[in-house]
Amino acid sequence: MMRELVLRNVMHRPVRTVVCLLAVAVEVSVVVLVVGLTTGLMTDTAKRIEGVGADVMLQPPSASAFIAFSSAPMPIKLREKIVQIPHVASVAPVLLQFNASGLEIVYGIEPESFRAVSGGFVFHKGHDLEQPDDMIVDDVYAATHHVRAGQTYRLFEHDFHVVGVVEHGKGARIFVPIETLQEIAAAHDKASLFFVRCNRPEETEAVMEEMKNRFRGYEVRPLKEYLSLMTATDLPGLRAFINSMIALAACVGFLVIFLCMYTTIMERTRQIGVLKSLGASDGYIAQAILSESATLCVTGGVCGIGLSVLLRALALAKWPNLTILITPEWTAGAMLIALAGGLLGAAYPTWLACRKDPVEALAFE
Amino acid sequence: MTLAQPEGRPSIIPIRGVQHPVPQVEPLLKTELLWKVYRTGQVEVPALQGVTFEVLPGEFVAVMGPSGCGKSTLLHVIGGLAQATRGRVLVDGNDLTAMTDAERTKLRRHKVGFVFQRFNLLPALDARGNIALAQHIHGNGFDPHRFEVVTRMLGLTERLHHKPSEMSGGEQQRVAIARAIINEPKILLADEPTGSLDTKNSTLVLEMLRQLNRDLGQTIVMITHNPEAAAYGNRIVHMRDGVIVDGAPEE
Repeated sequence: MMRELVLRNVMHRPVRTVVCLLAVAVEVSVVVLVVGLTTGLMTDTAKRIEGVGADVMLQPPSASAFIAFSSAPMPIKLREKIVQIPHVASVAPVLLQFNASGLEIVYGIEPESFRAVSGGFVFHKGHDLEQPDDMIVDDVYAATHHVRAGQTYRLFEHDFHVVGVVEHGKGARIFVPIETLQEIAAAHDKASLFFVRCNRPEETEAVMEEMKNRFRGYEVRPLKEYLSLMTATDLPGLRAFINSMIALAACVGFLVIFLCMYTTIMERTRQIGVLKSLGASDGYIAQAILSESATLCVTGGVCGIGLSVLLRALALAKWPNLTILITPEWTAGAMLIALAGGLLGAAYPTWLACRKDPVEALAFE
Repeated sequence: MTLAQPEGRPSIIPIRGVQHPVPQVEPLLKTELLWKVYRTGQVEVPALQGVTFEVLPGEFVAVMGPSGCGKSTLLHVIGGLAQATRGRVLVDGNDLTAMTDAERTKLRRHKVGFVFQRFNLLPALDARGNIALAQHIHGNGFDPHRFEVVTRMLGLTERLHHKPSEMSGGEQQRVAIARAIINEPKILLADEPTGSLDTKNSTLVLEMLRQLNRDLGQTIVMITHNPEAAAYGNRIVHMRDGVIVDGAPEE
């Protein structure tokens, strides 16, 4: 009977119910998509950086492991100092530039040093960078953006000549000569990071120790198991960002459910009086209201997951290189956040309903 | 709290014959110098000013009086919806004035049924749901046999799947009566049950109340300002200015 009462009440005001469900759905999808986007971006970036094939990465002081977050240039002349470290076989400076229109990181590289560090590209079509306006794209970018070798491609207000399509997994999806990117980014003789390859993998620890001694304050990171470093807790600010978004979404859910249940209680004042006249206890009335709120939250949550999947599909259609991971853990987490917010939002209206005077409630117009 | 059971009334199923009040029987409802004073800021408004009266088991008492004489307040206090300011109210041996809110709620659940002027059905539920809800709140679950007997007696069998908005006033009030008696309350309190009905439906509802009293022995206290409605009761009590004016007919 309680279930029937709750369902009938939910269906009795369809507009109110739809607005509530939409709000909870948006709340859940914001959580799922924000976490999915950041996790996806991190995982994708980490995998590609691991795929470069270097042993160590050097970044400026306080730089993020998530290199998409900062280009933070440093003098390219540092290369000479790195090369002098024992067991270092080769060093490749890279300048990073974020391409906002494609949500993509572009690597400015020196073809020779990058080849030496990474073992070179596997070419599907064309050849390596030779001229200042040359550009290489990976096969994923070529397929999703319909780019082919030989065509002109405009990037950063600059016309590049696509000279090659390579196997994906070498750090970025787009590569241009570092000098050209320095010119575009007004970062002459600067690099965002250095990839370092050791003579033998077992010498990585020793090289890292020496680098830390020589470049105090700089970030020296091993690229082996780099993926494990790319967690929200290891990235300064990211955890705070995710938490803020979750808090914001939870606030929206809380406020909407609060408003919805508050107006519902006001509207149903007389009905609450009737329930009291029938002998319904405070617990019974609280159960009816909280069950209704929980029903709205769970149904809205399920709609939110559906909305997340839909928005993910739309985002991937618009930006094919994006990676958005919708994980079961965060799907359940978002549902729980919505449920907790909804029950909290319904708490005050429930209390209000329980303490209503039955005679006044029955006289309510 | 355990509610007192001074004289366990047998179930109304099977239907019993006529029950006439017997003078020696312990009153089912008894008020002693009952006062109810409402406070609005610094102003005190006495709605009941020492009401003393009794209702015996099986009686159908009509309480009459002009608007504002305290009829509805009396009904609210004896039904446990409002707390008395002074005096005592005994319902089936239970002193309401000594009870907490929760205890009065429990008493209402098990011993009192209400019928209101404006029906007060839940609009989201159909007739069946409104009646079954009372059974659910009562805590004994859905009793299909009792449900069938009550709905058949009140002529609701064909209207059970209609919502209040799809029913006439008379039908809604019959659903409200069914809801009130479905748990076999010791006493049925009706507050102007025909106040929102036309003459035809008023007669129908009053006949049903009389039938409930006559055939099932249901004790009824009905508030009304309509002498024709009051005539359906087997005793009429008059109220004026918050007190019972015994035996004095309305002018």
